[in-house]
Amino acid sequence: MAPIAFRTAVRDALDEELAADARVILFGEDVAVAGGVFATTPGLYEKYGADRVFDTPISELALAGAAFGSAITGLRPVIEIMFGDFLTLAMDMLVNQATKYRFLTQEQVAVPLVIRSVVGAGGRFGAIHSQMPASWFMGVPGLKIVAPSTPADAKSLLKAAIRDDNPVLFFEHKRLYGLEGEVDGEAGRLGQAAVVREGNDITLVTAMKSVHDASEAATALEGDGISVEVIDLRTLRPIDVETILASVRKTNRIVVVEEGPATGGWAGEVLACVTEEALGHLDEAWRIATPNTPIPYSPPLEDAFLPGADRIAAEIRRRLR
Amino acid sequence: MPKLSDSVADAVIVKWLKSPGEAFHRGDALLEVETDKATVVYEAETDGTLETILVPEGGTAAVGAPIAALAGAGPGAPTARAAVSADRPNATPVARRTAVELGVSLHGVEGTGPGGRIGREDVVRAAVSPTPLTVAAPAAARGDVQVLVPTATQATIARRMAESAATIPSFTVTADADVSQIVALRLGARAESGVATPSLNDFVVKAVAAALGDFPRFNASWVGDTIECYSRINVGVAVATDDALLVPVVADAGTKSLAEIAAETRRLADAARRRALRPEELQNGTFTISNLGMFGVRSFTAIVDPPQTAILAVGAVRRSPVEDATGGVVFRDVMTLTLSCDHRVVYGADGARFLSRLRELLERPLVLAL
Amino acid sequence: MSHTQAHVLDDVRLYTDIYRRMLLIRGFEDLVQSLFLKGEVYGTTHLYSGQEAVATGVASLLEERDRVAATYRGHGHALALGVDAQALLDEMLGRATGVNGGRAGSMNVNAPEHRLIGSFGIVGGSIAAATGAALALKRTTGGVAVAYFGDGAMNQGYVFECLNFAKVQKLPLVLVCENNGYGEYTAFRDVTAGKIRARAEVMEVPAETIDGMSVWTVREAAARLIAHTRAGNGPVFLEALTYRYVGHSRSDPGAYRPEGELDEWRARDPIALLRGRLETDGAEASRLDRIEQDVRAELDAMRERGLAAPFPSAQTVPEFAE
Repeated sequence: MAPIAFRTAVRDALDEELAADARVILFGEDVAVAGGVFATTPGLYEKYGADRVFDTPISELALAGAAFGSAITGLRPVIEIMFGDFLTLAMDMLVNQATKYRFLTQEQVAVPLVIRSVVGAGGRFGAIHSQMPASWFMGVPGLKIVAPSTPADAKSLLKAAIRDDNPVLFFEHKRLYGLEGEVDGEAGRLGQAAVVREGNDITLVTAMKSVHDASEAATALEGDGISVEVIDLRTLRPIDVETILASVRKTNRIVVVEEGPATGGWAGEVLACVTEEALGHLDEAWRIATPNTPIPYSPPLEDAFLPGADRIAAEIRRRLR
Repeated sequence: MPKLSDSVADAVIVKWLKSPGEAFHRGDALLEVETDKATVVYEAETDGTLETILVPEGGTAAVGAPIAALAGAGPGAPTARAAVSADRPNATPVARRTAVELGVSLHGVEGTGPGGRIGREDVVRAAVSPTPLTVAAPAAARGDVQVLVPTATQATIARRMAESAATIPSFTVTADADVSQIVALRLGARAESGVATPSLNDFVVKAVAAALGDFPRFNASWVGDTIECYSRINVGVAVATDDALLVPVVADAGTKSLAEIAAETRRLADAARRRALRPEELQNGTFTISNLGMFGVRSFTAIVDPPQTAILAVGAVRRSPVEDATGGVVFRDVMTLTLSCDHRVVYGADGARFLSRLRELLERPLVLAL
Repeated sequence: MSHTQAHVLDDVRLYTDIYRRMLLIRGFEDLVQSLFLKGEVYGTTHLYSGQEAVATGVASLLEERDRVAATYRGHGHALALGVDAQALLDEMLGRATGVNGGRAGSMNVNAPEHRLIGSFGIVGGSIAAATGAALALKRTTGGVAVAYFGDGAMNQGYVFECLNFAKVQKLPLVLVCENNGYGEYTAFRDVTAGKIRARAEVMEVPAETIDGMSVWTVREAAARLIAHTRAGNGPVFLEALTYRYVGHSRSDPGAYRPEGELDEWRARDPIALLRGRLETDGAEASRLDRIEQDVRAELDAMRERGLAAPFPSAQTVPEFAE
């Protein structure tokens, strides 16, 4: 099977799930006729028609309401919120209704909706089109947050998200869309991290674009005699703590690399889980995240802002001296 | 201001060896400090740059007070401080746990982490050999000083022996045992090839185990305000290694045969010398035997190993003239035994009776060999 | 009432049933009020007294496949849809036998098996939820989704976005605005630009304003609008002018209402109006009296059973569906 691009993997997942289950519908701004502003949904409208795939007005409140209301009335909606930064507008329906409904009905009615959203910086899109809103949602019980780093994961985890009976936020990092990789057909499993590179000296936990920066840093650190084990979380909520603990027991050190503000981020959540369970195994535990400021536009400013391979390697070198 | 002498609260800066703006590496000499004892050179604990001198040459500063501002010391490294306070060593969680597992003390472990923090590898490395360190000092009445830093094991022994001396009121009881029959038994066994011969000390272990069965108060501990007697008889046998004294334990010596005890003491001694003993093999002893006979020592007094109640010091076997039944003189193989006891648990008469029983068993050893 | 007036009620049996339901709702709300004052109903609660004609009128037209989203003032809507009154009371009391096991309370009551999607505490939330339900119903059973909300909600973003969305998508959505004159403690006139109905009309959504105290008027207008939307013509809007006889919530004594206003509206009590109509159109007074007594007795028994019902014990609830 030839490698395909991340965006193609997203489309293929949607195509397959639309074909497999008549209850699946896809809607959002520019997803149908235009095929998606990031070219993630071309051809689906033509194939499935306006009953299954349709464009909506610029109305995130109505979009989110439509997703929630239809998810509890027999459908399995997949909506797109164009930029993760706009999730603020969808938050009332998602947080106050969708994630609470199953509990309020005493587990009688599930809410099988998926919100796909484009996130991440490095594209020079500026302060309100580049955020990583994961940390806004870490504190919402009942919500799953999925964060693929490769085309293979984009496809398998999106399929899994659509088949999941819980509300799922599916983050597509905008700088991964062109990344190519091998993909198989199977639906993956949410809530499961992967060790993408083995090592003995330190466990590096990360997600999405940062997985690739981390691997680059790990290669550089080999030259310093430091062997880094890289773990791709793949799902930010819930966190696969077991996989991380197994690694930490081996390496005795953990660093979490998060593209997101340091304060209140999911890196802190990972460190809390690890120190709770494995304090006696730790020589080092810290996080590398972005500063507590908005994202600047100018390339040198944005590049300095992000936790790239060089910065990751330099920090690990310094700490492990 | 680092703590370079135990007896003063402040010190004088004699000379700064780096200038403001100058970078330094870990181990570089930073400044000379005069304490009540000597003028000492203080070396940098981490890489960095000397930014600002806060206390100039000739100035005095209290221990712990800032004397300079450094930069680039890395995260988690505060202004230069002397290594490790006596109260709680600066060690990571896994280092602490490893220290417990390996049975070593953190005191004296050299830390290579930020600010001299002790990590797991530092502990593992320290459980091996001492690190001599030479410090520049002027000629003194006792000549050049070579400072030896005890290994973690040595430091632990020092601490425990001091504890024993301070807390256990001990008395000693001495007796000679005629071990001619054991000597003869051993000669006979050695003549038989293919038979692993128990050592004289193995007989002692077996005899001690049997005697402890008869005198349970010697297989006990003083705990708080009470005496705890233990049903398992775990006899520790002191082994001298290159740089330390280890006491591996023969567990349940009371139920083991002489042959089993011999095999085990051989294995434990070998493991001790190779530093391959497991922590559990060094724990839970209820009585200790120390034998310096191989050095020709006639007798000696051992220090009770807390929380045990007694320790038996065994001297060398010597040929000794003894009056026989007919009034003549014969030579017998005699060994001096010295028993040190915790007077809170047992008294003089108890010690005498125990030692007497021990001697009985050693002088008629057939029972031991069965 | 003159005997020469034409029969207004097309089905006396049906309206007698509605009468019973309105009495139940009124009595239920009185009961909740009294229990709240005794500390047996917790937090806060919002009573529907005076607005009964709207919920019962609309509900009497709905089919099994239809869906309803109510607001936090939703007891009347739940009872109108057939939710068991005892289970509803127990939910107010926080008991394990409550319709949601004590998890939801007054403001979040839901009963999917009775077509009640939920009661939405976020103003305007009912509109969004019903819009989504309509999206699904159009593609599945062909049912309609009804959203209830108050005049205060008419200034929420949800109204505009969902009206627009539903119109463009031609969704089977029935928006029922119960204009009782007040959004919480503020007169709607003071905070609302233009007319309520106009907000729908500007999007070419059929809209009517009617007397919400007259249940047969509600039923007649609602039947017209529901038929229109059920036929696939897109959303419809009904503004029912009504009045709540008690404060916004139990903590509000309603002192912001002008003098005499309450009395004016009490003179048009929807239950009394219906009773009058029923008698004019042939129902026996004694039968109606008996219904009143039955409902009262039922509510008394409900009160006892509710207070004796067990509280739920704390459980560990799994976070996710498998």
